[in-house]
Order: sequence, then C-alpha cells, then structure tokens
Amino acid sequence: MELTEFRPALDRWLDEHHDELAPPYAYGSLDEQMAQLSRVKRALFEAGWMRYGWPERVGGLGGSTLTRAYLGEAVTARDLVEPGIYSMTEVLAPTMIDFAPPELAAEMVPRLLRGDEMWCQGFSEPGTGSNLASLACRAERDGDAWRVNGQKVWTSLAQYAQRCVLLTRTGTVESAHRGITAMFVDMDSPGITVRPLRTMHGVEEFCEVFFDDVIVPIERTLGEEGGGWAVAMDLLPYERSTALWHRGAFLHRRLEQFLDVLPDSAVSPADVGEVFQQLFAFRARSRATQHRLADGDKLGPETSVDKILLATTEQAVFDFALDALGDQLILGDDDTSRRWRAEYLYSRAATIYGGSAEIQRNIVARRLLDLGADR
Amino acid sequence: MIEGDDLTLFASSLRRATETTTGRELDATLDDLGWRDALAADRRAAVATLFELQGRAGATSSALDQLLASALGAGSQSGTGVVLPRPSRTSAPGRVVGDAVEVDGLASSAAIEGDELLVALDDGGRLARVATDALERRAVTGLDPALALVEVRGTAASPVSEPVKAACGWAEAVAAGQLALAHEQVGASRAMLALARDHAVERIQFGQPIAQFQAVRHRLADTYVAIEAAESAVLAAWDDGSTLAAAAAKAIAGRNARLVARHCQQVLAGIGFTAEHPLHGYIRRVLTLDRLLGDARSLTAAMGAELLRTRRVPQLLPL
Repeated sequence: MELTEFRPALDRWLDEHHDELAPPYAYGSLDEQMAQLSRVKRALFEAGWMRYGWPERVGGLGGSTLTRAYLGEAVTARDLVEPGIYSMTEVLAPTMIDFAPPELAAEMVPRLLRGDEMWCQGFSEPGTGSNLASLACRAERDGDAWRVNGQKVWTSLAQYAQRCVLLTRTGTVESAHRGITAMFVDMDSPGITVRPLRTMHGVEEFCEVFFDDVIVPIERTLGEEGGGWAVAMDLLPYERSTALWHRGAFLHRRLEQFLDVLPDSAVSPADVGEVFQQLFAFRARSRATQHRLADGDKLGPETSVDKILLATTEQAVFDFALDALGDQLILGDDDTSRRWRAEYLYSRAATIYGGSAEIQRNIVARRLLDLGADR
Repeated sequence: MIEGDDLTLFASSLRRATETTTGRELDATLDDLGWRDALAADRRAAVATLFELQGRAGATSSALDQLLASALGAGSQSGTGVVLPRPSRTSAPGRVVGDAVEVDGLASSAAIEGDELLVALDDGGRLARVATDALERRAVTGLDPALALVEVRGTAASPVSEPVKAACGWAEAVAAGQLALAHEQVGASRAMLALARDHAVERIQFGQPIAQFQAVRHRLADTYVAIEAAESAVLAAWDDGSTLAAAAAKAIAGRNARLVARHCQQVLAGIGFTAEHPLHGYIRRVLTLDRLLGDARSLTAAMGAELLRTRRVPQLLPL
C-alpha cells in the first residue's frame, strides 16, 4: 500500500479505535508502558497496519516503507505509545532482515512486529562507550556454538527482552573492528543476568547484562564471523532515520501541549518562533531521509546530521518547556507534571545515547567533510 | 518539469555563467540560456538551481526582479525592475494616495536603469507601474556595495498605467522571493565552508594540518549541519508550498548563515580577515541578503507571535 492510501485509512481506524487503544494512565510506569506497547502493537498487527512496509518473507505485506514512518508518527503523536520503546522495532528489525539467516528472520521478526516479544541491542560495555570497536565481550567457538563471556551496559529494556542483538569479540583485542561478530541471543539462555539501572529521570530503562558461559548456537550468527562491524554499521543508520522521525512527531505534540497551557507572556515570541523553526528544519531533514529510504537508497554517515538535529531540537523543545512552564516542571506533582519532568530530564540524554554529539560530529568531519582521520 | 539530463545540462550552463560573469553580463547570459523560459516552465528548478549557484559564486543578477514580476503575474521581460520592501520588511512598498502612488523600498541598480518600476500596493494585491525618474534614488553602499542596492522613495504623481489586480497575491510573491534568497544564502554558506575546509586541510600548525584538531573539526561539522538544515528547510518549503514554510526557510537560512560565517571566519583566522581573501565578500552578502524580504529575527518573532496567539503548532511537511 502506498502512503496516500495508508494515511487516511489509518487515521480513520485510529479515530474509531481510540478508546480501546488509549493508555489506561496519564503517566505510566515502565511496566505499564511496556504492557501498553505490546497491546497496541498486537492490535496494529492484527488490523494489518503494523505489517505494511515490511517484506512478505518476515510476515509483512510489502509496500512503501513510508507507511512505517507514518504509523510511528501517528501512534506517538496521539500519545498511544512512548516513542523510544516503540521505535526499537525500526532499529532492530531491518538489520535482522539484512543479516539473519532467512529462516531465522522469518521466524523471529513477526514476533517483534506483533508485540509478542521485545528485543534489545547489546553494543556498549563498561569500557566501550564511544569507541565501539574496542568491545571486549568474548565469544569463543565451542563445537557448533559460541560460548559468550563478558558484560554489556546501557542495554535498553533488557529486562523485558526475549532476544538480544549482541556484538562480541571473536578475534584478538588488537583486531579492533575486524574481530567482531554479531549474534542473536535468547535472553532466557542459562548464564545471562540482567540488572536494571535506575536513571535520573526515575525509570529503569537501561540495564547491565552479564554473560557467564552463555551458549549461542552457531546458526544464530548475524552476518559473517568477524563481520560484526558491518552489522553495527548497518544498524546505526536505522537508529538515526525512521526512529527519529517518530521522535520528531512526539516533540511536535509536546510543543503544542506546552503552547496550549503556558501562561501569557511567559516567553518571548522570538523564542517560540525559533523552537518551531528548529522542529521545522529537523522535520525537513528527516522527511527527506524517509523518502530516500523508501526509494531504496542505502543510508550511511549522512544520518549523523539527522541525529545531531534531533538531539539539538529535543533539548530546545524541553528547554523551552522549562522556560515557559518552569513552576509546573520543577514543582508540580500531578501526573502530567511528573511526566513532562521525566521527559525534560530524559532530553538531557539526547546528546549522549545512540552515539554522542561528539561522535556524530566526528563522523561528519571524517566521512562527510573528508577532513582525514583525527588524532 | 526540468529534470534528469536536461536539469544537469541546465545546471552546468548556469554554473559556468555564474562563475564567469556577474551583474549585467550575467543577466545577458541568463537571457541567452533561456532562464526566463525555465522560470515559466518550472519555477522550482529554475530558482533552486540559479540562486544556489549565484550564492556560491557571489554573483549578482536581476533574477530576483524577474522572479517577483513573474510571481505577480506581470510577465518577466528583461528590464522590468520590481521594488522590494524596505529593509527587513515584507509589506508591499507602495501605497495609493489620491491619484498618486507613494513608494518606499529598495531596488537593484539594474532595475532603476529601466524607465519604469513595478510597485506592489498595500491595498490587497494591486500593482502599479511607476516612472523611475519620478522617484528619489539613493545608491546604497552599505556593507555589501557589490550587491548595488538602491533606496527608492517618493510620490509618483500618476502611475504610468492604472493599477491592475496582480495575478497572484503579494504574500505569494514574497514567499517565492524568500525561497530564492534562502537558496542564495545556502549557496554562499557552502562557498564559505569550502574555503574553511580547504584551509583546515592545508594549514599546518604544531606539525599537522589544523583539520586534525577536534576543536576545528567540530566547528566545521556544526557548520555543515547548519547548512544541511537550511537546505533541507528550503527544499521542504517548496514541497509544502505555504507562505509560512517559505518564511521559516528564509529565517533558518539567514540565522544559520550567520553561524556559518562565524565558524568559517574563526577557522580561516588571520587570512580570512584580509580583504584579499574571498571570505569577507560572502559574509557581506549573507548579512545583506538577510535584510531583504524579512530578516531572520523579525520573521521568527512574527511566527512565534502567531503561534502564541493561536496556541497551535502548524502541521507542516506531511510525509
């Protein structure tokens, strides 16, 4: 289905089913948000909406990927789901489709789309933040399997996840990006321990994940042995494309809500105009990226521009909220205030997660401006 | 529509033209290349291609007059100048007082060589033709003498012809002009970044190119992002088609061009501060273009005031 047909039909369906899809809370705990996410994804999958834009071989109905971008925009802009947890699908499923053995992708991806499962992304480690190629979580060959030992951290939603897209070190430490292998791991495998971390915005979103002699069948290898860097480089642009479009829709919704309630003369017109224009420029950029993706272009380092703009815009929207609604954000204890406060605090991480602002600028400098390697 | 090979060929001819000629000479070349026909056939392609290249080359032409005349439905014969609003304004520059037309605006020096000027009236979309020599003209030297603007003001006792209803409203003509100027600012911004980038790669200090220092790299990366944002905004504004989107694009291009100027000047350092280096020409140009058809600050404040009044965020740029 093409977007022109999809959009009005979806809007109508969401209007008709609003009461049953709306979250049962004003500000839910993470448990409640996750339950709501599964419920909404299941309903969207059964009605077919969640299947458009995905290949038929993984349970999709084909058609333009723009439908996926619009679906996420529609459900986040209506506050049916939280954008961050909803968009994990857009980050992980495309890479599974590109790199998993076809039978594995066909078996697993529908579970993610239908909301039966949650997946997580095991990339960062205590000693491996920005320098991803230095990762040390070890995988050794053991017969027809990998034996994994090590630790991951900042693994979003690992406590809810049934599977993990995991990067491991299979070469020597000196092999850097050449000695990395990606695999798809069942989170109920013996030897995995998950310990959630409480963040400053009061949510146990990130986790530490410990691997102690965890056995992973060799058929669960994603891509080539030693080809994990290619998997990571494939995944990261997805993290910086459709997921960000969804987040932009959420920011648009919030800005409108802030405008709706802010006291008269709390902010200057120029401040309002500037934050609106930042959102406009981000949306313009991200929209072009969605169209490139739909046209079959391979996304690459240019998506770092999208990430820089989104992070800057997200912080600008919530800085604006703090200026316009400071009393409410800082002192309010009702659900809406608590929610906006948490979102304000979370916006501080926008320049940190998913490749920090500095790493994105390094990518722009090296790959887009051709300034050569940095020292 | 001009697309594919035709567009590539058209763009490369325009590139040669803007790089080798400027002013009246560029106008003559644009006539030869059929830019006005292109404007009539595919406004977006004609404007986006020419103005970006004109900005990159730091060239000047009468293309903005031709665009505005065409957008107002007044034809676009060579030599018909259009009076622009006063600096930073977007309101129509003409006003009917009795039988006379009062004019207060800016024009290009090429425009005032013609016998008459096209003046949009602030009475809801009419146009007057006014004899050029009925108006006081003061050449604006200002920050960017090469742009050769002229202040035109005064009261023309009687217009050359009765005011006629414009085919298209003043607001739409302003939007078209804002998109053209935004493209020109993006082009000039790209030229500044190219100068700074090449300098950073070639300039050796402490035994290495300064491009290897993260302080310099990140400044240039921010410059690149600012330009990409402005370009995305202006391209999206064409798709969107609203006057609001065009004003937003012009404001973003103007604000970001200032950031580009600041970063590039810092990277180019001493050499970029000399009159013999081309950077200053671009800085002069983008700051002056910001004054035409609404500056970034005024456009932004007006937009914000409207958002505060309606308490709504316009849903622009549908996927």
